Amino acid sequence: MNRRHFITTSAAALAATSLPSCNSSGKKKTLTVFTWADYLSENATAGFEKANDCTVVIDTFDSNEAMLAKLESGATGYDILVPSSYAVQALNRKSMLMPLDHSKLPNLKNVDASYLAKAADTKMEFSVPYMMAPTCLCYLESKVSNPVESWSMLDRTDLKGRVTLLDDMREVLGAALKFLGHSLNSTDPAQLAAARDVAIGWKKNIAKFENEQYKTGIASGEFFLVQGYAGDLLQASEENEDMRIFIPQEGSAFSCDDLCIPKNTTQPDLAHAFIDHLTASEVAAENMAWIGYRAPNSAAYAQLSEDFRGSPVLFPPDGIFSKCEPIADLGDKLPLWTSEWDKVKTAV
Amino acid sequence: MKPSRVPFVTLVIVLVFLYLPIAFLVMNSCNTSRFASKWGGFSLRWYERLFERQDIIAALGNSLKIATAASIISMVLGTAAAFALERHRSRLQDAHRLLITVPLVLPDILMGMSLLLLFVSLGVSLNLITITVAHVTFCLSYVALVVQARLQDFDFNTVEAARDLGATKLQAFVKVTLPLLAPGILAGGLLAFTLSIDDYVITYFVKGPGSDTLPTLVYSMIKKSKDLPVINALSSLMLAATFIVVAVSQRLTRPTPIRD
Repeated sequence: MNRRHFITTSAAALAATSLPSCNSSGKKKTLTVFTWADYLSENATAGFEKANDCTVVIDTFDSNEAMLAKLESGATGYDILVPSSYAVQALNRKSMLMPLDHSKLPNLKNVDASYLAKAADTKMEFSVPYMMAPTCLCYLESKVSNPVESWSMLDRTDLKGRVTLLDDMREVLGAALKFLGHSLNSTDPAQLAAARDVAIGWKKNIAKFENEQYKTGIASGEFFLVQGYAGDLLQASEENEDMRIFIPQEGSAFSCDDLCIPKNTTQPDLAHAFIDHLTASEVAAENMAWIGYRAPNSAAYAQLSEDFRGSPVLFPPDGIFSKCEPIADLGDKLPLWTSEWDKVKTAV
Repeated sequence: MKPSRVPFVTLVIVLVFLYLPIAFLVMNSCNTSRFASKWGGFSLRWYERLFERQDIIAALGNSLKIATAASIISMVLGTAAAFALERHRSRLQDAHRLLITVPLVLPDILMGMSLLLLFVSLGVSLNLITITVAHVTFCLSYVALVVQARLQDFDFNTVEAARDLGATKLQAFVKVTLPLLAPGILAGGLLAFTLSIDDYVITYFVKGPGSDTLPTLVYSMIKKSKDLPVINALSSLMLAATFIVVAVSQRLTRPTPIRD
C-alpha cells in the first residue's frame, strides 16, 4: 500500500465512522435534566434510572441568564430545570413552569421548613429547593490579625489591595444592605443609596471585583480576604488549612437552586418522580455529600457525616441562619439596583 | 561579520510565548492540588478520574463528530462557493460575496440566537445535527475565503489544456483542478475543524438534550464542579494526540525522494 493510498483510505474510514448519527436508545423513557455540570451525584442518577427503567440525560448551562435566554427563544425537550431561585421566579412570571402536583411528591414533607419560610415559593407550588449555600467571607488566619466575623472586615485598611469582592450587583450591594441591617432584597431608594456608599467605601479597599480567580487567589496567599461562594471556598480550603470561612454575623445571602418542571415537558409523571426521588432523605444525604452543598432536607440532616453536619458554613447556628435570606427576583425594581451599582462600578 | 542574533532571540521568545502555557497545563494535569497556583505533589489522579467520567468522554466524542462532519461539509460547499465567486462576475455574485463574508464578522451571539429561532420555528428538535448545521454556516465562509485566495493565482489554462487533450469536464476537475487546489481546501478544512471544535456561544444555543460538546460542558463545570482539573488531563491527552497526528502527517506528506 503506497502512501497516498493510505491517506485516502484512512481518511475515508475516519469520516465514515465519525458522521453524527442520531441513534435513539430504543423505547426506554428518557428524562432530560437541564442543569449545572456535576450538580447531581452519580448514585442518585443511577438509582432513579433503575427504579423507573429510564435513562437520565443531563444537559448543562453555565448561567441562569443563558438558560433563560435559551428557553425563552423556545428551545424544548427538557423535563427538569435546576435554576437559581430568582430565575425560577422569572420563569414563573412568563408562565413557563408547570404547577407541581403534591400528591405525586410524598417526600416534600422532608423539606426544611426553616428555609422554606424565607423562600420565594413558600408553598412549593412551582419549585422545590434543591441545593443551597451561603455567600461568605474568607480570610487567611496567619495574615489577618484579630478578625471579626462581620462585613466590617471589608473596611480594614490594613488589608488594602489584598481583598476581593464578587463582581455581582446582588452580592455586593446585598452585603452592604445586610451590613446596614436592611433586607438583602430591599428596594427602598434611601436604603439602597446608603448601601451604595458603603460599597463605594469597600471598593477603595479592594484589589478587584472577581468571580472566579478569588479561590485560587486566597488558596495561594495572593489575597487575604475574599467574598465568595461557600461551595468554592470549602473546596479551596481543603488545599489550604490557613483559610477561615465564615458567614458575617449581620447575615448574608443564602442562595438556593430549585427543581422545577417546564410547562412543555413530555414526561410530567417521570419528572415528578425525579423530584420526589431527590427529596428522599437518603438520596438527598448522599447527593449533598457528593456535591458539597446543603440540600434543605431536614430528614437527611441526621444521615450526614458529623464532619459535614458540623460545618458552621453550611449549617450555621440559628441566630445567623435566621438573618440570611435567599436572593429574590427584583422584578420591575431592577433599574433602581442597576443605577446604584453603576455608581459603585464607576466610583473612583 | 557575525550573524545577527535577533532571529534566534525572536525564535526563543516566540516559542516560550507559545509553549510555556501549554507546558504549564501539562504540568498541572499531574498536580495533586486542585489549584494551579500550588504544587501538591505528582499524581495521576485526574487522569484516573477522567476515564471514570463517561460524560466528558461523550462530550469529546460529540465535539469530534461535529467538527469532522462540519469541516467536510464546509470544504465541499466552501470550495463550490469560491469557484462561483472567482469564475463568474455579476451583480448577483456581489451579493453572494457579501453573504459569504458576513458570517465572518457577525457576532456569535447573534448567529446562535437566530439559528435557534429558526430551528424552533421549523419545529426541528435540537441535537447533534442542528449543531453541525450551525457550524457549517460559519465554517464554510472561512473555507471559501481560503480556497478563493488559492484560486486567484490558479492557472485555468491547465484545465483547458486537459480538456484539449480529451479529458471530460469531470476528469479535468478530478485530475487537474482538485489536486492543485487540495492544499487550499485542506487548509480551509483544518481551520473549520478548529473553529468548530472550540465554538461555545453558537453551540450553546443550538444544542439539545444530550448533545453537550466539550466547550459547553467545560464552561458549566467551572461553576460547581469539583472535578475541573480533569480538563487539564484531557487537554494534555488531546495535545499529545495532536502532536502525533501532525508528526505522522508530516512524514506522510514529505515529498518522496527521487530515485535514479
